[in-house]
Amino acid sequence: MSASLYSVAHSLVAIVLTAIGSVLPSPLRQGITNAGLITALGVIVFAAILLIASMLNTIVLIWFERKLLGRFMDRRGAMHVGFAGLLQNFADGLKLMRKNTFRPDEADGLGFYLGPTAYMVTSLILFGILPVSTGWNSGVLPLSLLLALVVFSFAPLFIFISAWSSNNKYSLMGGMRSAAQMIAYEVPLLLSVVAVVVVSGSFDLNTIVAQQQNYWYWGPLFLALLVFVAAMLAEMERIPFDLPEAEAELVEGWNTEYGGMLFAFFMLSDYVRALVGSFLVVLLFLGGWTMPSWVPSAATSFPLAGIVWFMVKVYVVFAVFVWIRASLPRVRTDQLLRVGWNRMIPLALLSVVLAAGVVMVKCLPIFGCLPNLGI
Amino acid sequence: MTEEALTPQTSGQDNPVLWVVRPMATAARQFLKSLVRPSTIIYPFERLEDPKFREEVAVAAGKPIGVGAVWDNYRGVHALNIATCISCNLCSFSCPDLCIEMVTVPGGNPKHPKKCPQIDYGKCSYCGFCSDACPEGCLSMTTRYELSVTKRSEMVYSPEKLFEVFERKLPMNPIRLERPANEDAILLDAPLCIGCNACARDCPTQCITMVDIPKPETPPGAKAPRRIWKEPVVNDSDCVRCGTCISVCPKECLFWGTRA
Ligand code: SF4
Ligand code: SF4
Ligand code: SF4
Repeated sequence: MSASLYSVAHSLVAIVLTAIGSVLPSPLRQGITNAGLITALGVIVFAAILLIASMLNTIVLIWFERKLLGRFMDRRGAMHVGFAGLLQNFADGLKLMRKNTFRPDEADGLGFYLGPTAYMVTSLILFGILPVSTGWNSGVLPLSLLLALVVFSFAPLFIFISAWSSNNKYSLMGGMRSAAQMIAYEVPLLLSVVAVVVVSGSFDLNTIVAQQQNYWYWGPLFLALLVFVAAMLAEMERIPFDLPEAEAELVEGWNTEYGGMLFAFFMLSDYVRALVGSFLVVLLFLGGWTMPSWVPSAATSFPLAGIVWFMVKVYVVFAVFVWIRASLPRVRTDQLLRVGWNRMIPLALLSVVLAAGVVMVKCLPIFGCLPNLGI
Repeated sequence: MTEEALTPQTSGQDNPVLWVVRPMATAARQFLKSLVRPSTIIYPFERLEDPKFREEVAVAAGKPIGVGAVWDNYRGVHALNIATCISCNLCSFSCPDLCIEMVTVPGGNPKHPKKCPQIDYGKCSYCGFCSDACPEGCLSMTTRYELSVTKRSEMVYSPEKLFEVFERKLPMNPIRLERPANEDAILLDAPLCIGCNACARDCPTQCITMVDIPKPETPPGAKAPRRIWKEPVVNDSDCVRCGTCISVCPKECLFWGTRA
């Protein structure tokens, strides 16, 4: 894709405003085709396209998980609403929208409503940060990886706020677990990202992807990938690390008291975060939107090829997450902490050392050399 | 899933890598298997009794195809053949849930209205006693199992509705009990009988004939018993053992027994 998403949005607004302006008398025309207005509306349209595309993707992701989990459990998953149940989630969403949102008497109003909203917003912001292809991105953010990880790790705070203000023992326990869990996964997660940053020499996701033109990082940095995926599972609160939800013991964990649209916010944000987690794995370890050189150029040069390949990789990564969810039981908090501190942190440190080694030797036997992008 | 896959594996229990790898391998195997065809059937659109599942069901039951399949002795909604029903009441007698009521259907005469069973499926326990008891094999259970309705009154199936089920020609399992002809016969305590003809009149199979008996000589002065000098004779091979005669007899002189 040659034109960037923002320039598409910008020219779309310009065309529409010029068309409207052409039928208006001249003073109004001057006002409506003003460059500042076009830029402002362009940004809004850009954000709207991002929002709609990411929401649609999230909903398809939920469908994808339901279908895959079904097959893992020898069933079929959603079947009847839309083609192969594709519209089932929209029906579920409509149902949740129609429901009354109910706040317990003793709950704290501000926290109760702020929690889910902030959780949703911080999850959605990530789509503005992460690039999907050379065109579909928000321009050059030199520290986009850092920004993404920071925004991503806000979640336990908002989970804790909503858990605390629901004034319910199960919610509180779920929130506490979420906070405890954060201690276990945040350090190894960041350390494994450090390995990627050491090799690529940049915090900019665009550069990190560009650096993977000769080989993707999952091979040399396999250890870092393992730690990253495990920590990511904990960060996304998916099985086997879904302790804060633990519906078998905590009713519904930190969102016990939430119903209707507020519950839908949590549910949707969970999947937004799952999608973003898969995005990060693809961006950091699987070469983003690039394809290896042995892939025939016909398969990589059609319009929107970058986006298509990126999404294919994202769904493959997510399928692995679903596979893990279908296979493994939930761990206990102490087990998670032990795995986090005793296993994952040493492994992550080791992977940083390995990454430094990769940078030192520059050329690896099977994979080839690091590109020299002059950074 | 095979037996083997379900037995716990004891080797490598202290190897944490296997804790992760083994369940994931099992899940992957299951996934690949059900990618071809999951065990779930898409129920309202396909049914287990569809011909295409016959083979699969037989294999699962470990029986030859077409034998011992679920529906071979399935106890679903009843089918009633009104034409052959003899209004014997046996079905209604045998029902442990008292859900059968005998209701009048056209086809009888004013003295002997034809009565057929009406079944309340809100009470029925699908025990099948009624169809076992039916001497004519006209009430039998079919494979039909979809009975959801929106009103309780619709749970009551009139004889006509049961006849509609019959006309669909679903697989049925009429069970006929064979018994020796002299067993459970209707016996007569002759001295009590007054020859009133009630039993012969109400017998649904008309197997009772009233035969003349000689009027005994009465000594002069003694009062002759006031009765009709006839006695019922039951044709055991036609009798369906419904007991109607026993219940209509005003003198209670009929009873069950084994004929010598
Ligand atoms: S199957 Fe139903 S109607 Fe027949 S005897 Fe049993 S309970 Fe009564
Ligand atoms: S047992 Fe059979 S023949 Fe007798 S009344 Fe019932 S349905 Fe009719
Ligand atoms: S109903 Fe009883 S009393 Fe009357 S004829 Fe029959 S057996 Fe005799």
